[in-house]
Amino acid sequence: MEADENPNLPDAEFLGQTGAKVEGQTRLDAAYGSGDGDEQSIPSASVAGGTKQHEQAYLGTVFDQSYQSWGGSLNPRWARNWAILRHHVYGLFSKGHRPYGMATKLILFAAFLISLGDLGMSFISAVFSETEMHRVFGVSKDNLYGHVLGFWPRNAICFPIIAALLIGGIISEDRTHGTSAIYFSRPLNRIDYTAMKFLSVAIVLFMLIVGTLGIYYTGDILMQGEGWAFFLDTLPIFLGAALAGTILVFTYSSIGLALSSVSRGKFFPAVALLGIFLGMKLIAFLIYVLFERSVLYLLSPYDCVAHVGQALVGTTSTYDHPWTWSLMSLVVINAIALYILVSRVSSMEVTRE
Amino acid sequence: MAEKPRPLHDKVWSKLDRKATAILELTLRQYRTRLSTWAVLSVGVILVLITVLFYIEAMNSEIEAVDNDGDSVDSDGDGYPDGQENLLGTSMNNANSHPGLFDPPIPPDSAEDWINEDGYDFSSAKLGTSQGYDDDGDCRVKIGEVGWSSWVDENRNNISCDYFFEMRGFDLKVVADPNVDEDPDEDAYFKETLHRSFVLGFGKIGFVFVLGIFVPLFLATGLIRDEIADGTLHYLVTKPISRAEILLYRLLGYIALVWPYFIALAVLTGIITGFMGPSDGFFRFQDLLVWFGIALAACLLSLAYAALFMTMGTIHKYGMVAAIVFGVWEFAMAMLSVFEPEATVSRLSISHWGMVIVDGFSNMAWPDSQYLIALGESTSQYTDSPSGERIYFDEMPGTEAFSTFFHTTNLTGNPLQDVLIASGVLISMVIIILVIAQLVFKNKEID
Amino acid sequence: MMPDIAQTGQAAGEWLPQAEVPAVMLDKVSKWYGNIVGMNDISLAISGGVTGLLGPNGAGKSTLFKILAGKLKPSQGTVRLFGIDPWKNTAPFARIGYVSENDALYDWMTALEFVTTLARLYGYTRDEARVKAERVLEFVDLKDVMHKEIGKFSKGMRQRVKIAHALVNDPELIILDEPLQGCDPLARTTIMNVIREFGAMGRTVIVSSHILEEIERITEQIVILNHGRLLALGNVHAIRDMLDAHPHSIALSTDRPRELGKAFLDHKEVFGVHFPEEGKLIIRTHNLGALHADLPQLITDSGFSVTAIDNPDDNLESILTYLTGGGD
Repeated sequence: MEADENPNLPDAEFLGQTGAKVEGQTRLDAAYGSGDGDEQSIPSASVAGGTKQHEQAYLGTVFDQSYQSWGGSLNPRWARNWAILRHHVYGLFSKGHRPYGMATKLILFAAFLISLGDLGMSFISAVFSETEMHRVFGVSKDNLYGHVLGFWPRNAICFPIIAALLIGGIISEDRTHGTSAIYFSRPLNRIDYTAMKFLSVAIVLFMLIVGTLGIYYTGDILMQGEGWAFFLDTLPIFLGAALAGTILVFTYSSIGLALSSVSRGKFFPAVALLGIFLGMKLIAFLIYVLFERSVLYLLSPYDCVAHVGQALVGTTSTYDHPWTWSLMSLVVINAIALYILVSRVSSMEVTRE
Repeated sequence: MAEKPRPLHDKVWSKLDRKATAILELTLRQYRTRLSTWAVLSVGVILVLITVLFYIEAMNSEIEAVDNDGDSVDSDGDGYPDGQENLLGTSMNNANSHPGLFDPPIPPDSAEDWINEDGYDFSSAKLGTSQGYDDDGDCRVKIGEVGWSSWVDENRNNISCDYFFEMRGFDLKVVADPNVDEDPDEDAYFKETLHRSFVLGFGKIGFVFVLGIFVPLFLATGLIRDEIADGTLHYLVTKPISRAEILLYRLLGYIALVWPYFIALAVLTGIITGFMGPSDGFFRFQDLLVWFGIALAACLLSLAYAALFMTMGTIHKYGMVAAIVFGVWEFAMAMLSVFEPEATVSRLSISHWGMVIVDGFSNMAWPDSQYLIALGESTSQYTDSPSGERIYFDEMPGTEAFSTFFHTTNLTGNPLQDVLIASGVLISMVIIILVIAQLVFKNKEID
Repeated sequence: MMPDIAQTGQAAGEWLPQAEVPAVMLDKVSKWYGNIVGMNDISLAISGGVTGLLGPNGAGKSTLFKILAGKLKPSQGTVRLFGIDPWKNTAPFARIGYVSENDALYDWMTALEFVTTLARLYGYTRDEARVKAERVLEFVDLKDVMHKEIGKFSKGMRQRVKIAHALVNDPELIILDEPLQGCDPLARTTIMNVIREFGAMGRTVIVSSHILEEIERITEQIVILNHGRLLALGNVHAIRDMLDAHPHSIALSTDRPRELGKAFLDHKEVFGVHFPEEGKLIIRTHNLGALHADLPQLITDSGFSVTAIDNPDDNLESILTYLTGGGD
């Protein structure tokens, strides 16, 4: 099966040099010695490229090592990053991109509907022109705050679950499946990779949390037929709530990605995320009820965001310590999470684990 | 080697033991090699320590004494507090009428003597029983002053200067004669109720709720699932051992790690709070029963969750999503069980039954708790605001927290029965889950 | 009836082999995954000696082994190990050692701990298991490294640990899924010796591989699988001889079959042509390779147009040439 035995073999092109008679298997043999080691047959190899060496290859030869720089053109950095981002976000809607499980998609959809529950109530009140009911469910400081940061049921059930499901495997699955090697063997910066992962998660969370806030806000105003004055009056509150929601999304994403980067499976980061959000909240709550100390809330990411959000929207604070402490704590929490994430990703070994 | 062949039952048993210990040891050693195990367990310990620190700090701080009946004031400025003047029959509003004019003259009491001068003393935790003792003696004085002897027995139980408990609707109320136990010691009351609230709140939320759900989520879900994912499960299933046994022994390995952990944490907190807490002796022995209940609830709950999450872990894809969703459902139901134990929907959850166990044991250990709450609610409190305004509260400090966490047994009314029922429910849940689990696992093809 | 926690007692008595029941028996076994057929109607009985299971990747070797190991449930047919269904009853595993193709091991254990722990699942006491583990580790030549963690082992050593764990219960039937894969020649020779030795001891050993040469060095008794079907079974030399004597045929689709057939008859390797239906031509030959080499030239010279070329019975031939490492 030596290449030269068959004269009909067409001339092949290898590394841009024509004229060499190259066949797949022999090329591999020459490059890697792909034999199993104890074959009885006489080893043979043929060489691509140079004609003199080609003839001598049966006797053994030393190759000239010459390297040529790669002459192709690379897409700009933003285009490569966009490809990663697209790959992750589009996966939610269509095949051929990063696959999300059916259950995950269904839960995301359910969370989307639940998030729009207040709009539904407002709609019902508009249809039956129940002003009392609209006072409860219409646009107000408390409702705008509650849409993003209300604890029950949004931040107790909805948002932590979707964050856990979305973020759980975002980096760790790449590691377990070995697909991070595919990314890191491309002309791609690891920080960019991390940033795009972060952004893709944040975008989906943002659509679910802040996007529904926008739908609720505009929808309610349109349904009630409020005028420009009302719109202008409530716009700053809306913007405050949207900003608070963005902080929430950022915090959830950074903690989740940090957890995902330090673990192997999809499950551990998801549960750890839930544990940090709900467990810390509960312990802090317990301390507050028993001893009337609210400082432990500084360790609970949700409460820090909620406290800052209360200050942004301007509702009455439910915490005893000043909101700037919560802001400081948020900065520290995010800094730690991002530090873990970045240092972990940049030192990650790209073997399949 | 033995000469005589051993009887068959002996062989079967000893074979089982050998396989069980082998898998149990394997499971434990696997836990030991995983970083996540240590992370989870130490986070649990840190949470417990933080909470206990807050407890210790609260126990070492003093609650300011409040003069609930306002008789430490010297209204007429004659140097004698109103309580003393009232007791001895002089006028509170006339500076020229005070016990110093008696023969022999009686020296004035300091104002502090008339704060916290009449504390709670109830002897029996039963409805309609006569309770209380008028320590400062101002119940009879008040009546003597006005001269209507029927006022001595305002609650009309034919005993003067006492009180009794009565159920009004769902609430326990104190029906008291005037000026009986009207100025209790805030610090003592607060510390007693805070201690009990801490044990209950921490037991329910910290142990049963947070640790009881998250520890199995972290540690039990992977019992079979990680083996499948790593491709090492076939070392276990291609042995002369049935798959149901593998499940059971893996679970035993989990128990061997987690139960001692929960028991050790409960004992540790029990000992610290037992010595730090307010008590007549050097240690609060009656708390041990509650800590036993907490440890029991945490162990049974963590077993039920472990069986469940392990089963979900064997289901290929959606098991994980189901486990997370179920975990959050349990979380919500546990919250409901803590704050609204009467809600029946939470009976559909596992966590609810753990709360019932803790409630049952707390009712056994502290049968007087709801009477203590009723007493705390019966005494009016006030503080002086900076602007000189007086703000009245209805309750003694600590009553609210205590009434949040303490619940009377709501299942049968008998705490022991409640505990037995709840334990039975949890154990049968474990058995049902395991039966389902081995059915699922038996028919699972392993690639 | 005290539980034997101290584990001082003796293991249960040995099973006496029953000569009349074959170690492995498959009757019309099929296995499919969704639409993909992994095994197609295989009937087979193996008892005694070393048997090589051959086939390219995806031929169904691992599927067969997984069914034997009770990891997969056959979609159809009956499987018996010593007369017992391995999917329903795990009792036969007391007499079986199974080495999976999967390279996963408990990397944090030492080799001795690994083999000992798994040996205890056969019902041995701690001490018995340890003695047996040391013995098998010595057998596979790992005694001096048995206190090292498996994670630090090379591929060949890992493979030998897996084999050791399968031998620890002194099995009558040993199933080895690609035991030589990825091993260096030295490890390969050791493993081959181990397998041969077991065959000489009268145990039933089934070894799978996709390289015929490896199997030929261990045994002459082979089973060939391809696409989930049983292709051949028996002595490797006999199979080769039968293949050579077996006439081969090439089917051509053309609009002028008779004229084209005439052109082919002149070729020295062709001994017959016939025309099964309109537009079809079948050429018979003893030397498929030579005819294939000349086929394009012959067709071009004849000047007729050929729309399709097909080898109706190329399977066994091509599989065997593939397995022997020749051909392209």
